Amino acid sequence: MLFNSSTKMARSLSNLGTYIILILVSVTTVYPVIWMVSGSLKSESEFYTNIWGVPKAFAFQNFVNAWIRGGIGQNFINSIIVTLGTVIIVSLLSALAAYALAKIDFIGRGVLFFLFMISLMIPHGILAVPTFGVIVKLGLVNTRLSLILVYAGQSIAFSVFLLQSYFLSIPKEIEEAALIDGCTRIGALFRVILPISGPGLATVIIFTGLRCWNEFFMASILVRTKAIRTLPLGLVNFVQQYSTDYPQLFAALTILTLPMILLFLVGQKQFISGLTAGSVKE
Amino acid sequence: MAKLAKRRTLRVQDAVSGLVLVLPAFLLYFLFVLYPTIEAGWIGFHRWDGFSKDMKWIGLNNYKFVFQDDVFWLAMRNSLKYSIVVTIAKNVLGILLAVLINRKIRLQAFFRTTIFIPVTLAFVVVGVLWSWIYNPNFGLLNSLLRELNLEVLIRGWLSDPKLALYSIMAVDIWRWTGYHVILLLAGLQAIPKDLYEAAEIDGAGPISQFIKITIPLLVPIFFVSIILSFTGGFVSNYDFVYTMTGGGPNHSTEVALTWIVNTAFNYGAVGKANAMSLILFVLLAVVSLPSFLIRFRSQREG
Repeated sequence: MLFNSSTKMARSLSNLGTYIILILVSVTTVYPVIWMVSGSLKSESEFYTNIWGVPKAFAFQNFVNAWIRGGIGQNFINSIIVTLGTVIIVSLLSALAAYALAKIDFIGRGVLFFLFMISLMIPHGILAVPTFGVIVKLGLVNTRLSLILVYAGQSIAFSVFLLQSYFLSIPKEIEEAALIDGCTRIGALFRVILPISGPGLATVIIFTGLRCWNEFFMASILVRTKAIRTLPLGLVNFVQQYSTDYPQLFAALTILTLPMILLFLVGQKQFISGLTAGSVKE
Repeated sequence: MAKLAKRRTLRVQDAVSGLVLVLPAFLLYFLFVLYPTIEAGWIGFHRWDGFSKDMKWIGLNNYKFVFQDDVFWLAMRNSLKYSIVVTIAKNVLGILLAVLINRKIRLQAFFRTTIFIPVTLAFVVVGVLWSWIYNPNFGLLNSLLRELNLEVLIRGWLSDPKLALYSIMAVDIWRWTGYHVILLLAGLQAIPKDLYEAAEIDGAGPISQFIKITIPLLVPIFFVSIILSFTGGFVSNYDFVYTMTGGGPNHSTEVALTWIVNTAFNYGAVGKANAMSLILFVLLAVVSLPSFLIRFRSQREG
């Protein structure tokens, strides 16, 4: 009896420890973001007198100013177009490729898979100049399409890698029945495999989405005019131009940040089970 | 019989359809990653500023210049240090937090989300937030130390050459640990529960359960997590360093990528920069290729 209650006590103590650690870590990860959002709602004078606290009155005008005067609105639309375009291309093409690499036995499969894996070791920074050369040859300089194609090219290997792992975790029998009933490979992929691959696809969408939405370096090389600037480009420009108007800058940073937090909130459950599938299975 | 014949035609079709299905993805990948990589290797044998038509073959000279470039090797040493520290921190913190979140606790989904939030932030946001935190005069960190009467610990976090690189590593760890937590958490949740139940019946305590069940079963996912953080420490820290210190003060935070980009775009020595990139690529390949091959082989058999 005595023994029992002491283990119970030990358990609740260690639970308390768990909560304390997790809460402390959460404060360090979330507070800077909350601070940014609350800073975006302060008036300029309050921003300096009340640096670390919550705003006393909400100054939504900062968002209006950033969106219209700061030109963040146009950047936002460009980012949406580029991110959506890339995500659609990457999920579709990587699903096709990953399916073939996971489920079909064909000559060249090993070599192709290996070539895709090399990309994890290539410092993408060095590709800037030659990639710009490719875009020039395609006649796509300073277009949104150039961003979509470059982002898709750079994210597709990792997506193939993720989805291939996911497809491997789906038992063979599931699609074999469909194939013997005369379903084509494409048919099996779209009718049998993809409907049960929500987690794998969510993982690809979140990774690709985050990457395009936040990318700066390649965009700074490929984009030449204001009209097609994406959000990170617009923001770096904004930082230089409005560096004294902090609340407005913080409003702009908030506009950049919230959509991706939302995307993660919506997809997180699927995302987490999608990450596991292949890697643990072996 | 009919079924067998069907299987045979399927096999012939497969040889074609396999290639056809991979082709579109591979084409994009080739055009924007593989081909530029090969071209970058080619440019490494030339003297070129990146823009003009004047590109002159100079053989291995760029490599000679790189070997004589002290800043590059300083940057490589910094990158190695950066990579090792960051890899250890992200994976140790990652597994500890993943184990804690995986316990039967309330608010599991909440903690999972809060820890991942930094991963979703753009580097501009991270840069602006952390330059406020590190600001020597009114920054959050020094204000906090002042409040706690720990004035002795107040530092110029990004201006002290001995500290600056570690301050940047801290931001990198802050930014990416959540990713490793989620990766390892997903791995933990895939371990069958009955293994633990059996161990408990055999009288194994939580620590020996952790060492004998959890760690061995997590090895494959640890592999992925370590390789991603190690190569990432070399090839994807440009944004952090660029926004916070730009490689200064006095090259103390210079890492391979900042120096490569600097060499290419500020000194106009694109050939030499590409030679550096190739050296970096080969070194990383040597380190990570064996683990890729193991993973690749186990997947083919599986």
